[in-house]
Amino acid sequence: MTLTTHLAWRKALCAAVLCACSAAATAQETIKVGFLMTYSGPSGLSGQMADQAVKAFQKRYGTSAGGKTIELIRRDGTGPNPDIARRLAQEMIVREKVQLMIGPDFTPNVLAVAPLVTEAKVPTVIAGASTHGIIGEKSPYYVRTFFSLPQVVKPMAQWAYRNGVRKPFVIVADYGPGHDALNAYTAAWTEAGGKLAGSLRVPLRNTEFTSYMQRIKDAGPDAVFVFLPFGELGIQFMRAYADSGLKSAGVRLLTTSDVTDESQLDAAGDASLGVVSSGVYASSHQSPLNRQFVADFAQAGKAPRPGVGTVAVWDALRLIYDGVAAQQGRAFDPDAFMAFARGRRYDSPRGALSINAATGDINQSVYIRRVERRDGVLQNIEIEELRDASAK
Amino acid sequence: MTPHEHSYFQPSTRWNRWEIAFWLAWAAAYFIPGTNLPLLTHILVWGLFAMSLDLILGYRGIASLGHAAFFGIGAYAAGFLAKFGWTEPLSGLLLAGITAGLTGLLTGRIVRGLHGVALLMVTLGLNMMLYDAAQRATDITGGDDGLQGVALAPVLGLFRFDMYGHTAYWYVLTVAFVLLVLARALVRSPFGLALRGARENPLRMLTLGAPIERDAILAFGLSAAGAGIAGALLTQTTQFVAPEVLAFQRSADVLTMLVIGGLGRLYGGFIGALVFVLLHDTVAALDPIYWYFWIGLLLVFIVTFFRQGILNTLDKLLASRRGEAV
Amino acid sequence: MAVIATMLFNGLAYGVLLFSMAVGLALTMGMMRFVNLAQVSLAMTGGYLVVVAMPHFGLPYLATLPLCFVLVALLTMLLERWVFRHFYGADDLTQVLLTIGLLFMSVAGAAYLFGPSFRPMQVPDWLSGQVPLLGLMLDRSRLFLVGAGATLALALFLGLERTRFGAMVRACVDNPRAAGACGLNTSMVFALTFAVGGGLAGLGGGLAVTQLVIDPNFPLRYLVYVLIVVSLGGTGTVIGTLLASVLIGIVDVAGKYYMPQAGSSLLYLITVVIMLWRPNGLLQRKGMP
Repeated sequence: MTLTTHLAWRKALCAAVLCACSAAATAQETIKVGFLMTYSGPSGLSGQMADQAVKAFQKRYGTSAGGKTIELIRRDGTGPNPDIARRLAQEMIVREKVQLMIGPDFTPNVLAVAPLVTEAKVPTVIAGASTHGIIGEKSPYYVRTFFSLPQVVKPMAQWAYRNGVRKPFVIVADYGPGHDALNAYTAAWTEAGGKLAGSLRVPLRNTEFTSYMQRIKDAGPDAVFVFLPFGELGIQFMRAYADSGLKSAGVRLLTTSDVTDESQLDAAGDASLGVVSSGVYASSHQSPLNRQFVADFAQAGKAPRPGVGTVAVWDALRLIYDGVAAQQGRAFDPDAFMAFARGRRYDSPRGALSINAATGDINQSVYIRRVERRDGVLQNIEIEELRDASAK
Repeated sequence: MTPHEHSYFQPSTRWNRWEIAFWLAWAAAYFIPGTNLPLLTHILVWGLFAMSLDLILGYRGIASLGHAAFFGIGAYAAGFLAKFGWTEPLSGLLLAGITAGLTGLLTGRIVRGLHGVALLMVTLGLNMMLYDAAQRATDITGGDDGLQGVALAPVLGLFRFDMYGHTAYWYVLTVAFVLLVLARALVRSPFGLALRGARENPLRMLTLGAPIERDAILAFGLSAAGAGIAGALLTQTTQFVAPEVLAFQRSADVLTMLVIGGLGRLYGGFIGALVFVLLHDTVAALDPIYWYFWIGLLLVFIVTFFRQGILNTLDKLLASRRGEAV
Repeated sequence: MAVIATMLFNGLAYGVLLFSMAVGLALTMGMMRFVNLAQVSLAMTGGYLVVVAMPHFGLPYLATLPLCFVLVALLTMLLERWVFRHFYGADDLTQVLLTIGLLFMSVAGAAYLFGPSFRPMQVPDWLSGQVPLLGLMLDRSRLFLVGAGATLALALFLGLERTRFGAMVRACVDNPRAAGACGLNTSMVFALTFAVGGGLAGLGGGLAVTQLVIDPNFPLRYLVYVLIVVSLGGTGTVIGTLLASVLIGIVDVAGKYYMPQAGSSLLYLITVVIMLWRPNGLLQRKGMP
């Protein structure tokens, strides 16, 4: 090469490098959001449905907010395994440097991760755990878009009393949340002035319900309130209940949305008809926002209908997108995000919700629903609404 | 010991280069930038747990499907100590190990004389009962939500358990090393030989006058103590303990890791844990929904090509290369 | 009195359910010294066959049951030929690891093929509701289960004790070399026994759909129960497995009624006590692993 062409090459090279630098400088900043859900094992369905919700959300609202790209980093917590959840959260915070987090699900995981997010100042939205007292009490960076157990059990008890139930039998799964549900129901029932016909605890690994049905029959109740976690227990219970003759004898079955979640109704079949439950979300909710959400969701994957866990993830994304957009033009500030989130009110496909300013827990409407067949599909149809129920 | 016995033991007590390389690699891993310390700490805890199982399974031939019981007892013991004010980590660790060890002695006594299926089912049954109890006794253990208020003081008063996992890593690595040295000395001692003898030919050992039953119970106790220390390490480094530490899944996983790595080698547990946890983590990150399939395939693969476990198969390969009789 | 009788009956039905899923494992463990934990995966396959074939092909429930047996038996034959055969002499732990690996693969495979949710099952009309019998109101589905299970047990027992093939199986197990020397095709006998064991599991799964929920995690949930039944019964005996299953079924159901606070621990306690008392299983058959 001659000297002039050599110089020309060097100038071109410099120009190219400068262009690249300026391009990098104006490139979008990325906000990393940790997404810690359960994708495998007995509760694997919830993680897959959560993914579907993310896909539906990003299809409608895009992958950036406030001029920054939102990047989700998915990890499988494999269920209620606190040591794995903690390690994965630690990895995401320390190595991936996530600035926000959605999840983990399950109360033990939430408790194990709390000190980490406090120390690292990572605002975290809980979209899958329902124990009371695990949000603001455990970390100033926790916010919840799910529901809390007392929030849905109390209205169920109150509805039952208002509708003539006087001798309820309470049957719960024998673990922490089950005990909480029993206590919440008993407290609400005593407050209303009633007495229980009896109560029972059922082991988590249970396949045979006939003995428990017999026990219930022995107590002669006029209604049964059952609390069981998501999964095959609820399905088997509804089937056993229908088979036992209690249903045809007119003893009403009352429960929470964990048993009548949309993903389980089909498996229980006709046995679930007429079951009354309290919950914060039903896919049949009649609002334009929900109809759009259900349609978006169905198109984004294999699961046909969303459930409460799905709408919680959707709302978590809404909160994060809005919070990041509010900080447009500045570097991400976790404390400013928390100040934004606490006290925030907005419309969700489930109805109106607000984040309690003091605790970060969620205030929302609780609905009493009955399972009916509409358009050939088993649905939770809302029959009553209690507005702005607090998480306590 | 007579000069003859001394020279018999001498070659096996010397540290071979693989062992030295192994521990140096762990120490060096700390200084590599971007290394995943929480994951490595996790692997070390599992490795220690698997090594403790090796003591009874690899060296004595006692198959236990409920070893998580001792892991969990140690974990909860450390948790309770920390919760009720005993926050010093090292002494807490020791106490937890002793608690688990005593339970192990008792269990060893219960299952003495059992083999095969009966032994597996009794150990499994006892493990499941303990798990059930821990999960349901929400007033004592906090149940599923785990034990609250577990706080640890800094190790040796200097090193706080931090968010990045630095202290946890060195703490677990040091404890694992110390326990390995102890176990190593144990299996190369006459007691260790007696265990192996009882595994190979119990009748012959009896005719030699060896107290095989007492030895087996003692081995069980020591193995349980090791598992308990591993459990206590998990509690202390995560400041949390939940009933999952007692679950059947944990017993099954540690057995799997040990068999993958190779029985009767002490290091088999660590190698098995390394392979299993690393692969689990990598595959789960790549395919969060169907990683079970790949783990199953890995197990089938390992069982097909590394019949005696990784370490033993490698050993055979190396030995045949060198032309030695195997 | 009626309560106790109904409860005994329900326990019997539950036990028969466990028996049908576990008997294949007991046979292969006792007769071939092969620990096949993937047995529960075969049961799940049978279950899925029923819940998928019924709506998809419009087959009646009764027709799907023999289909379960045959198809799962064929699948087991393939598995035996490609995989199990190479591990006959291996020690227990190797076989456990192998079959656990297969179990994991089946769980993920089922999730991939059928989706992760629980399968809805339309119980046919002739199996729904209750029928008065002997002064008690008994579930039709449970009556069918007990009947089917009893027939199965009888057929198996007679098959092993009275038929030529049964004699061949027993001969091959007692002394494969001598049996081979007598001209028996041992590898074919083993393959067929395996296939029958697997087919039984599939049939068990098909029978289970009226009582249990079918989803990809089915094998993980029921593995422990099947293990308990097989070890309590003593491997290799049909009668022993039946006895153990019925015992477990009744203890579970009665225990939950009379002592609900014991939860599931009662089952494990019974297992531990019986194993300590009778390490070779209830019938104390000699020479079993």
